[in-house]
Order: sequence, then C-alpha cells, then structure tokens
Amino acid sequence: MNIALALSPLLVVALGALLLMLAEAFSPRQGGLALGAATVLFVGAAVAGGVWMYGIERLPEAASLAPWLLLDRFGLFFDMLLCLGGGLAALLAGGYLVEHGIERGEFYVLILFATLGAMILASSGDAVTLFLGLETMSLGAYAMTAFRRASPRAAEGALKYFLLGSFAAAILIYGFALLYGATGHTDLAGIGATAATARTPLLVVGAVLVIVGVAFKVSAVPFHAWTPDAYEGAPTPATTFMAVAVKAGAFALLLRVLLIALGDASWTSWAAGWPPVVATLAVLTMTVANLIAGRQESVKRMLAYSSIAHAGYALVGVTALMRDPTQAGASVLFYLLSYTVSTAGAFGALILCGSHGREAVSYEDLSGLGRRHPAAALAFSLFLLSLAGIPPTAGFFGKWFVFKAAIDGGLYWLAILGFVNSVIGAYYYLRVMVYMYMREPAAGAPVALPMRSGYVTAALLVSALFVLALGLVPTRAIEVAVRAATLGAG
Amino acid sequence: MSLASCLLLAAALFCVGLYGLLARRQIVAILLSIELMANAANLVFVAFGHYRGGALGQVFAVFSIALTVAEVAVGLALAMLLYRRHGDSRVELASEMKR
Repeated sequence: MNIALALSPLLVVALGALLLMLAEAFSPRQGGLALGAATVLFVGAAVAGGVWMYGIERLPEAASLAPWLLLDRFGLFFDMLLCLGGGLAALLAGGYLVEHGIERGEFYVLILFATLGAMILASSGDAVTLFLGLETMSLGAYAMTAFRRASPRAAEGALKYFLLGSFAAAILIYGFALLYGATGHTDLAGIGATAATARTPLLVVGAVLVIVGVAFKVSAVPFHAWTPDAYEGAPTPATTFMAVAVKAGAFALLLRVLLIALGDASWTSWAAGWPPVVATLAVLTMTVANLIAGRQESVKRMLAYSSIAHAGYALVGVTALMRDPTQAGASVLFYLLSYTVSTAGAFGALILCGSHGREAVSYEDLSGLGRRHPAAALAFSLFLLSLAGIPPTAGFFGKWFVFKAAIDGGLYWLAILGFVNSVIGAYYYLRVMVYMYMREPAAGAPVALPMRSGYVTAALLVSALFVLALGLVPTRAIEVAVRAATLGAG
Repeated sequence: MSLASCLLLAAALFCVGLYGLLARRQIVAILLSIELMANAANLVFVAFGHYRGGALGQVFAVFSIALTVAEVAVGLALAMLLYRRHGDSRVELASEMKR
C-alpha cells in the first residue's frame, strides 16, 4: 500500500492516460479531452506535491524499488515540474488544435504517455528503466511532431527529430553497454561505486558516449541540429511540450548520471573529469544559439534557438556541480522551473496570436499588436522579459542562481560568459516587443488575429502566475529545489 | 568466441551503421543502419553478460530489442508519410526548411 502511495504520481498519470485512451476510442463526440488530459496532469502534480508534503522518507517501502526506480524528492520535484509542463501543453493544445482544424484525441493521449515516460526517466536509477522512460517519452514526442500530417514541414521536422533522436538513443545504450562491461552494473549507483575505484579506458569511452547521447537529448551545441527544424515543423503545443517536458526529462537524466554514476571526486575534478566537457558544451550552446537566434525571421524559430540557449545557461549550473552538488543542483532545478513556465507562456502567447488556420509566425505578424490586442501583447511581453532574465520575473532569479552557483564554484569566466550571453539574448526578445509596440503593420499585409480560447487563456494565466510568483518571492521555491537536490546527491 | 572478438565485431557493426546513417539516402536504409547500431550495443551487452555471468546483460538486451522495435515502427510510419506525399522516401525530399 505504501509503495502505491510512493508511486502515486506515476500511477495517476498512467491510469489517466489509459482512461483517456478509452474515452477517446469510445466517445462519439470529440472535445473535452484537453480538459481531461490537463486535469490528469495537474492532479498528478498535486499528488506529487502531496507525497512531498507527507514526506517520501516516511515510506521506507519505496526504497524496495531501487535501483529500478529511485522514489526520492528529486524524482518528486521532476514529477511536479513535468506534470506542470505537460498540463500547460495540453491546455494550449485544447485551443490550438481546434482553431487550426487538426483536433484529434490521440494528441492528448500522446502528451500523457510522453509525460509518463519523462517521469519514469526522472526517477530511474538503472539503465533499463532509464532507457524505457527515455523511449516512452521520445516516441510520444516524435508522433506529436508529425501530428499535422498534411504539412510537409511537420513530416520533415519529425523525420529529422526521429533520425537524430534514435541515433542518440543508440549511442546512449552503447555507452551504457560499455559501462556495464567495465563495472558489471547497469544501475547508476553500482556504476558509480566501481567507477570511483578503477578507471579503465572502457569506462571512459562509455562515459563519453553516455554524455554525448544525453547532450543530443538536451539539444546542446554541437548536437542541436535537429532542434530548430523539429520545433518549427511541429504544431506549437507539441513544440511547447518538447521545449519544456522533454528537455526537463533529459536534464533529470543528465543530473542523475553525473551525480550518481560519475559523482566521485576523481570524476568531478576539473583536471580529470567531466566538468571541462560540460563547460565547453555550455559555452558553445549559449553562444552559438544566441548568435543564430538573433538572425531569425520567424518568431517560432527564434524561440526554438532561445530554448537551445537556455539549455546552455542550465549547463552552466550543471558544470558548477563539481564544487557544491546541492547548491548547484538546486540552481539547475530552479532554472528548469522558471524556464518551463516562461517558455510555455511564450509559446502560449504565440499560439494566442493566431486563429482560423493562420498562425502568427514572423515578426511582422506581431506588429502593432500592442495597440490592437493589448492583453495578448502584455502577456507575450511578460514571458519575453522572463526569458530575457529581467526582474521581477522568474527568469531573472533562474539566471541569478545559476550564475551564482558558477561564481561560488570558482568558475568566474563561465559566469561572465553566461552574463554576456544573456545580454545578447535580450536583443532578440526585446525585438519582438519593439514590433508589438512600436511598429504598425504594413498596409494590406496579412495580419494574424488572436484567437479566443478559454484553454489558452487558462494556460497563460497559470504560467503568468508562476512567472510573477517566482520572480517576486523565489525563497520558497529555492528551498524546495535545495531539498530536492540534497537527496538527488545522496 | 573470445570476448575481444565479440567486442570487435560489435564495434565494426556500430561503425557500419554509422556509415550507413551518413551515406545512405533511402529512409528505410537509414532505419536499418540505426537498427545495426542499436544491435551492436545489444551484442556488447550480451557478450559482457556471458563473460561476467548473471542475467543482467541478457535482460537489458531483451528490453532494448523491444524498445528499438517500437522505435522503428514510428520511423516506418514517418517514412510512409513521406512516401505518400512524394511517391518516394529519400531524405532529400524532406529538406524544405532553411538550415
């Protein structure tokens, strides 16, 4: 019984997904599924919150599932985060799919199963469950990307995503195969125990392959080539899901691997461990993505590059794990939370600006929005400011904690590069606002009209609430993140 | 067969798969290449499992085969999508977006 309680967030989402699949198959009329999916996910988040409050430590039976599933506060934090992100994506889909004439119930079922996969991934402590969760998450995301079957761009994006994603998965399992060969373990803790004592070439090659595989999944430069096309080709709610939940799941995997399997002092040293590798990825990711994002003409593609850049900022925090796993881990978790609500909000605002099969895509589509539709423009501006890291929004404290972790870890140059990059990043976020408030649409130019949808409005309100709450009083959230990261290390 | 020759075979399979992924243009051939790479990893698991004793390596290989099959099913669906549109399934057909 106590095991069921410890597993309840996963069970809620799994049962919800099965029920929704039945409802989709047998209900004569479509509609209401978005509400169903969002309800399941928000209930999942609430249940995870409930287990957090009750205290997972008071359920000792939960440990009997280790190493397959590590039911700890780290996992619960990601359960809440992923359910929140998935729920927002489901709400956005409820408005978007209807408005653009591609409403089919499978989408919501895919969101639920993909979220479940991400939750399993975030809780897994063994290569078997890790791979199971990863594939469940990715297969759902591939299918969602190709959801608009009539669109060649969707097929193209999905194909690129699929080919590089399954390539990355193959690299990842090859890496785990070598780690298994070197240590005799497939569980992360067992790998970590052996890796601490003996370092063989096999172990090093395996670790490198695993890190490369994960870098594909978090879309770190130079493994990001699939991201812009997949994000642009996918229906925008699917883009939101990929940017938010898939990325958070991949970061959970990265943190678990680095903290548990490669967490020994010999591996976290700058001279002979992974920190220089991760730091290089962080610098490349931030810089390259920011420089390319500024040159985009499509707002959706700009947001795709922006999500790559944000993975780079989070990697700055991951690098800082080498000195203080708890503080740096907490900064990454907080960053992922602030990034989730800001990105879901920004994509949501972009969805809100299109209607009747016509999406707002380019900067010109948004020109004059501030005068024509002040509420939509205001919402968009709030999320852009948060992505740019300007107070009093969640994004400001997200960047603050990550850079502070880097400085505390002695990585001054990394923090400075991160800061310079966030200044560059502000340029293209503010450019959207310039178009919204200071430009008038050219005469006769096609102008996208905002849609009216209770679902999208609800998603924007929830995101805005989180962005402002985290931006004004981050203390509570950072305490939660510290507790989650503490157990993640142990 | 010694462990070293198994590992060598697996590494060769992985490289053949990688070459196919980069060089072949038909999506079905690319899917086969990805399958080769995944199976190279399975071979490493089974070889080390045999060498180390215990069922762990074999268990992982069985899981991995099932998951890879599911993955390829989605891949074939995407290839069908492209084929229906163009009557062909070469990857160049899917390159309308700018780099």
